[in-house]
Order: sequence, then structure tokens, then C-alpha cells
Amino acid sequence: MKNVYMKILIILMFLSGIFQLSIFNLSWEYFRMVQAIHILSSAFIAIFLLVPYVNMHTYEYMIVKRAKSTSGVILGILLLFIVASGFYLFFVGNTGGDTIGIISYYIHLFGSFILLFFLFLHARKKIDFNAKPFVAIAIVVGISYPTLSYSSEKLTNIELEDGVERYHNEDWTNSAKCKSCHEDIFNQWADSNHRHLTGTNPYYMVMENLAAADMGDEFRQWCMGCHNPSAVTTKQKRSTHRMAVNDMPNVLFESGSKSLVEELKNHGNSRLEQGVSCVTCHRITKVNSKGNSAYKLDLTNRKKYVFEDSNSGVEKWLSEKFINANPEVHKESYSKEIYKDSAYCASCHDEFLPDDSKRPIVSTFKEWEKSPYNNPKDPTKHKSCIDCHMSYMENGKHAPLKGQSTTGGKIKENIRVHYFSGSNHFLSGLKSEKHEDQTLQLLRTSADIDVDIKNGKVLVGVKNVGAGHHLPTGVSDFRELWLDITVTDRDSNIVFSSGKLKDDGNLDTDARPFMKVFGDENLKPVGLLFWRHKKMISDTRIPAGERRVESYDISDAANLKYPLKAVVKLNFRIYPQWVTNAVQRAFPQLPNPPVVLLKEIQKEF
Amino acid sequence: MRFFVYSFIFIILLVATVSLLLPSKDKRKFSDDGLRAAALSRNMSSTPATYEDLLKLVDTPKNRMSKEKVDLGRDLYHEKMLSKDRDINCATCHVLSKDLYDKNIYLKALTSKTNDKTDCVVCHLSDQSGTDRFETAVGHGGAKNQFHLNTLTTLNAALAKYQTWDGNVKTVEAQVGLSIQDPTQMNLSKEEVEQRLLSEAVYIKKFELAFDKVSFENVEKAIGAYLKTLVTRSAYDRFLDGDNDAINAKAKKGLAHFLNFGCKGCHTGVTVGGQSIQKFPLRDYNSIIDITNSFNEEDKGREVTDFNFNAKMYHPFPFENKGGFMGKDGERLFRVPMLRNVTKTSPYFHNGAVAKLREAVYLMGKHQLGMNLTNQQTDEIVEFLKSLEGDVVDYKVVNKDAS
Repeated sequence: MKNVYMKILIILMFLSGIFQLSIFNLSWEYFRMVQAIHILSSAFIAIFLLVPYVNMHTYEYMIVKRAKSTSGVILGILLLFIVASGFYLFFVGNTGGDTIGIISYYIHLFGSFILLFFLFLHARKKIDFNAKPFVAIAIVVGISYPTLSYSSEKLTNIELEDGVERYHNEDWTNSAKCKSCHEDIFNQWADSNHRHLTGTNPYYMVMENLAAADMGDEFRQWCMGCHNPSAVTTKQKRSTHRMAVNDMPNVLFESGSKSLVEELKNHGNSRLEQGVSCVTCHRITKVNSKGNSAYKLDLTNRKKYVFEDSNSGVEKWLSEKFINANPEVHKESYSKEIYKDSAYCASCHDEFLPDDSKRPIVSTFKEWEKSPYNNPKDPTKHKSCIDCHMSYMENGKHAPLKGQSTTGGKIKENIRVHYFSGSNHFLSGLKSEKHEDQTLQLLRTSADIDVDIKNGKVLVGVKNVGAGHHLPTGVSDFRELWLDITVTDRDSNIVFSSGKLKDDGNLDTDARPFMKVFGDENLKPVGLLFWRHKKMISDTRIPAGERRVESYDISDAANLKYPLKAVVKLNFRIYPQWVTNAVQRAFPQLPNPPVVLLKEIQKEF
Repeated sequence: MRFFVYSFIFIILLVATVSLLLPSKDKRKFSDDGLRAAALSRNMSSTPATYEDLLKLVDTPKNRMSKEKVDLGRDLYHEKMLSKDRDINCATCHVLSKDLYDKNIYLKALTSKTNDKTDCVVCHLSDQSGTDRFETAVGHGGAKNQFHLNTLTTLNAALAKYQTWDGNVKTVEAQVGLSIQDPTQMNLSKEEVEQRLLSEAVYIKKFELAFDKVSFENVEKAIGAYLKTLVTRSAYDRFLDGDNDAINAKAKKGLAHFLNFGCKGCHTGVTVGGQSIQKFPLRDYNSIIDITNSFNEEDKGREVTDFNFNAKMYHPFPFENKGGFMGKDGERLFRVPMLRNVTKTSPYFHNGAVAKLREAVYLMGKHQLGMNLTNQQTDEIVEFLKSLEGDVVDYKVVNKDAS
């Protein structure tokens, strides 16, 4: 092998490396190609050409001792460092969390300049020009040719799809793909309610079908906008669920979204993932806080690394290496400043009827806007959605979780956990105890209660101390938050009781749940059909920071035998029994949601 | 060395010239009216909108249509007496409610005290699709179909020339009789059917009105007459009847593909299928050991690779051969399925192995036409198939008050 080939190859590698620097501001399409060519051809050249060549070359110097050259020795050592750091960057990557990665990057970058300097010093011989160097170029082109053709075909597809105003299944990257590098975050999300919004959520499936039966098939899109964005953008008319021969696959109790991981393995990216997937949130480019899925998605203009969409094992592995070697672009593609704003969540956590009335159904964001937690002037008091709902809980308190969000990544002081704890401890709890625990801890920070007995009246105060919105919020027509009160006298006889469950599991009529009740135009409760809401029958939710006093009369107040003992519990149940009963018609395997005790006090009078 | 350089340049030039010299084929384009004319000339037609037109299509001398028969047939369709354990009726698998226009059927099923519907079916009640959404049919005593065959819809079935997956049955009346007697379906003998019906005064009266007496043959005829009224009309029919705005531009493109690519060759007639028996798959793509798809990442997830049996020597279908059914005479001959309401009758193919319509369209293109449909073509064909989804026409034959 002639010296000149080696020189040309080294210069080519140098140039392809240098072009990746941000000062050149290469457009992404070129950048990703240059990166892949640089990495692949360098690895190829280093293993098959450079190392044998240097080996032969040093043999002459060290063993035969025919030549003497200091610049040659330095050159050899530099080359060793650059090749080693290059391989480190390739196999381990510069993910931010590891010092060797950062050092490797700098060695690779600055070392290459020094290398080039010594290369010229070492070879002050005139480069003889003949046809043969072109072979070297042909090799490089030859190596990169298949990659180039692959990408151009893919790129045209993407452009077409963008023009066709709809996405295809393949555009929606399966979330399981993110697992290989973001395993912790994936596992948090995998059992969360964001993952299980659609086909794996029995309550949702029943309600969507009911809405369609009542209002027509078109109406499903209203639900699907937030619950099933992938189906909406691929122009599907309804949400679907998987089948396991003749039955529903039992995904209710499956933790870690195993079926999703399995699906990616068997079907590649061709099967559409439902629910709010990784890219749904992380490819929102614009939001409008008006609600009803007012967000802008951009799936096709993502900066993808070479082979990122591939389903083949080797290519997938390579793509991960490409990302790790230079993860900045990947990071920029999937995280934006707006993701920290509460308005971002508002696009789905505010719902109104899709008619002229725009009657609010869920107004969590608007409630927060009016609450003391929305205080941008005083950052110490300002708390956005993610400060509570994407924050780790420990011992009943928010405890910032220190760690990595990417395997091998930078250590962060406060990881934004993806449990999406809210109030629905039940569905995620069927899959993972950890999730249930996180949600219950958060729930229990929300309220405080106090009790007093005066003038033959039981007075119970409930204060919303923790929630930055009404208590309860969300679909608060289907939430039960109520006081379970028992007052006993000296002889342990019950003198007053309220808020017990009936035999059929429904809440007794004397209970006063904190909730809103939707009615139709004749003030008749709408029951399951909440979209028929015309007039509000009652709204007993507790706004953020406010205290509500419930007063109960003791029937036989004159003959009370003191001391009295009052036991007051603040109970919560995610769905009323009558709602669960309806859903169990379609999903017999669904268990009854438990009653959760949020606060309990006992006091003697 | 020089040899390599020259050969490299030669190959590049060759590829460039060949691609330039290849002729580009002009696509045939249709105007709306042209498209309609093309479809009609290929034996595709709309379903009747009135009872009189329906009669022209379905009335036969053997089983004259009458309102009494249809009324009786509807009752029998929903009569659980016709199954051995008195627990299932026709509508258990061929899901239809007695009152097809009942908007509250689903809400009632959710809130009723008793739930006589199979759990999955509850959500699909309002589809009124004439089929369950199971992979395979479940009959008497929970028995599954021995060949893992998928339940066919009863909607429009009477308009088809052949019934069942292998096309061995010609009329709906004959199939009614077979289904009642089949041990894996209703499992009730002719004699017992007659005996049970004779024990009910209401039925004796209704049979007298519609026919002369209670007999098994008359049960077949009555249910047959009812099935003949289960005809759907959709946007596609309105388009064929002259309404250019009934289907969107994309569906029109899909219809053009449907005509151009050759789908219409088999999926034809008023039912868009069901008129002939054909071989499936027409193209096997089997080799000694099929490794083609192992390297074809584009098609991954749509082909046999899904089922991890690629290393097998031979697979008769481009999907898992659940149940081992090989069609008529074991020759992989199948009745061409009807595409009306295809969007409501997933999963697809005889054993329900394919869950998604897009995948089914792709497979049909590849294995019947030898075409690799592009994403866009698939979208357009699927859009056309969506326009075939329709509701049962209210021919005002039976009393609305279902009891």
C-alpha cells in the first residue's frame, strides 16, 4: 500500500470530521450523512487499512531500524489516540454523563488538527499524482453509496407523506424504540395513564363506543384527539384494540408494556401504537392553551440519524451509536422549552364540548391559571404542572430524584419522572405497585381535614392544600371524593354516620361527594353520557387553597351522652361503582376500584 | 486497478442510461362520470333503495317474499329456541339487533341488570355488522369452529352467488338449515326444531300467516326471506346512482385503482365479491426455504415474517395457517369475500389471522395481483373500501316495535 493512499484517506476522514463542527452549520440532511460516512468509513479504514499499514511502517522503524523519524513516532502515537478515542465515541458515545466520553471527544477533535500538522511534517515528499488515488475515493464512495441511496428513498417518502396531509404508521415511532437508551423513563411511562389511554383502557374504550353510538361515528374524533393522536393523524375512524384469538388480550395487569415491546420486535414499526406515545408529546412544536387537543405535531421534520428508522438489528444498533456519538441534535429534536409550561399540558387537560356552546367539561388548566400556584412574578411560589405531576414522591413529599434520564447520560438534579401521577392510581396500580404508590402519595398531599361538634352539628372542614386546581379535577363527574363520618357516644353507640357504601358498592345517598354533576336541559343527570351536558346540576369541588365546611345535623342532639368520639375519613374512589358496573359488562375481568383513604382524624368532644 | 476504476464508471453509466431509457407509463385518468361508467360497465352496481327494486333482485319462485315471512324470519333470527341449549341464536354470532335503528342498544347493554351478550360483543352491538369480531366462530357449548373459520356477515349475503368460505353452499336458505343443525353451531335436529316451534302458539299462528304450517323447510325460508332484506346502502351506492359528491376524491382514486389494478375482476357484482370461487394465494412466493422476507425490512410486519415460522419449508398462506383450512377440495379455492362493510368485519381472511385492513389490502395486492402497492395506493384503496360501509336499508317491511 502506497503512502499516498494513507494520506488521502486520513485527509478525507479529517475533512468529514471537521465538517460536523457547528461552525460549518451544515444542514441536517448533509450532516447526518457526513456523520455516518465519517464513522463507518473511518472504522473500516482504521481496521483494514490503517492499522496494518502503521504496523508495517513501524516495523521498519522499530525492528529493521532502517528509518529514523521523530515526527513519525509522534504521528503514530497521535494516530493511536485518535483511533482509540474514535472507537470509544462510537461504542460508548459522548452521552454527557461520562468523563471519558468528553475527554475522547476533545482528543478526537484537537488531536486531529495536530495529527494533520505532523502528517505534513512527516511527509514533505511531493505527492505523486496518478490515477490510483481515485481508487481510494471510489472506495469511500463505494462504501457510502448504499447508505446514500437508502436515505434518498426514505427522504422522498417523508416528503410525500408530509404533502399528503396524513401520517402513516411508520411515521409514528414505536415508543419501545426509545427503551434501549431511556429505559427508566420508558418503564415509568409504560405503566402510566398516558400510555394506557386507549385500547388498553377499558373505561375509555367503552366510553368512546358509547359516544359513537349516541352521537355518530364522527364524534369519536373528539375523544381521539387527545386519547389517540396517532389514529387521528393516520385518518382512522375509531380506536381499536388488539385481539388474542377471540379474546381481549389481558393488558390490564401487564407491567412494562411487554406487548408493545413484543410488537416492535415482531412487526417493526409498521403497527400503529395508540395512546400518548413518546413522540406524541416530544414532537409537539406548538400549543394553544385553548384545549381540545390544540397542539401542532411535526413528525416528519425530525432530525433522524442514519438507520434510525430501521428494524434490522445491526442497523438499529448502528443508529444508536450514531446518536450517542453526537446526541445534541437528538436532544434538540425531542425536547423544547415549551414542554415546561403549563400551557403545554392545557392542550389536552382542558376540554369543552365541540359545539357552539363550548361548555367546559374539564378545565384543569383554567383552574390552575386562577390559582395561587400560577405566579410567574414570584418564582418561589410559581408551580407549573410538571412541578407536581412529573416530580418524584418519597415519604409523602416531593423529593427531587437525582439520576440519569438516559443510560450513561448526565446526572441530573431533578429528573422529570414520567409516572404522570394524578388521581388515577387504579389502572396504573393494576400493573405496577410503584405507580400506585407514587399516585397515592401525591393524592394524599392534596387535602387536609378538621372536625368540630357544636350545637348538635358535626362540622367538618376540608381544605385543598396541595392541588393547584380544583379538588377533584379532570373528569370530576366520574370521581368520588367524600367524607366518611362516624360519631359514637360514651357507650360506643353510633349517634351519627354518613358517607358509607351501600351493599351494591354505590355511595349512599346521604354522602356529599365533592364533584360536579352534569345535567341535560331539564336538569336530569346525564349519567355516562357526559357530552349531553347542558346545565350544571351541582358543583361542589374545592378550588385550590380554599376550605369548605360541611355541616351535618345530629338527629337526636338533645340526648347526647358525652364524651363523643368522631372518626372522619376523607375517602376517594376513582370511578363510582355504577360506572365500573357498566364497563364490566364489556370487560368482565376488570376488578372494582378500591376506596382509598386520603386523610383520617379522630377527635373526642 | 485500472480495471476496477473503469468497471465502476461503466456500471454507473449503465444504470443511468437504463433508467433514462425506460418508458414512463401514462396512468389512465377518469373523470367522475367516466369512473362511474367504467365501474358500471364492469358489472358493479348499487343496491336497491326501494322494496320494489329489492324484490326484482332477490325474489325467487321457490321462496316468494312476503312481509309475513320477513317478520317471522326476523323473530326466528333472534330465537334462542333454535339452539340446543336455548342459549344462542343467529344474532349471537351474526350480531344484529332486532330493531336495527335502535340508537340506545349499546347503552342498554351496558346498564341492563342481565348481560346475555358475550363480553366483547357488547361494544360492537351498535356496529350492526352481521358478524361478531372474533377470529373464529363460537357455537353450541362454546365449541370453536374446527377449521378456525371466521364468521361471515349476514348482511348482503343473500345477494351473493355462493355462501360460506369454500363456496359449497349456493343459497342463504340452505345455509340457514346447515347452521341450525351443525354440531359446532346451533346443534339442533330438524325434528326438534319443528317440535319446539309447535309448542309455542305464537309461532304456530305466525307460520300459518306466512306459510301453511310449521316445518323445518319453512324455517329456512322465513329466515332466508329476512336475510334478503338485510341489504346495505353506502356512499358508494349513491355515487353509482349519480351523486358525484357522495365519495371524496381519494376514494375515487381508490376506485380507479380498484378497476385498474384488477381487483374488480373478482370483487365484482352488486356485493363487490361473493360471485365466484378463486384461488388464494395466486402467487406463492415460496421457495425451498423462504428467506426473502428476512432481508426485506420494508415489508416487515406485513408478511409471514411476523409469525416466526419463516424457516418452515412451505407456507400455504401469507399469514399464519391457523386451523389448517385449505379451501374447496383442499385446493386453496375460496369464495371471493364480499367487500361491502369490510371496515366493520375485521379480522380478515378465512381464519381471521390479519387484523388490519391496510395489511389485508397489501397482501391481496402482492399475492393476487403481483403488485407491491405503495403506501399512497393502499391509503386510496382503503379510502374507497371505507365508502362501502353502509347501514341496512329500511325497506319498511317489518314492524318497528321490536319485542
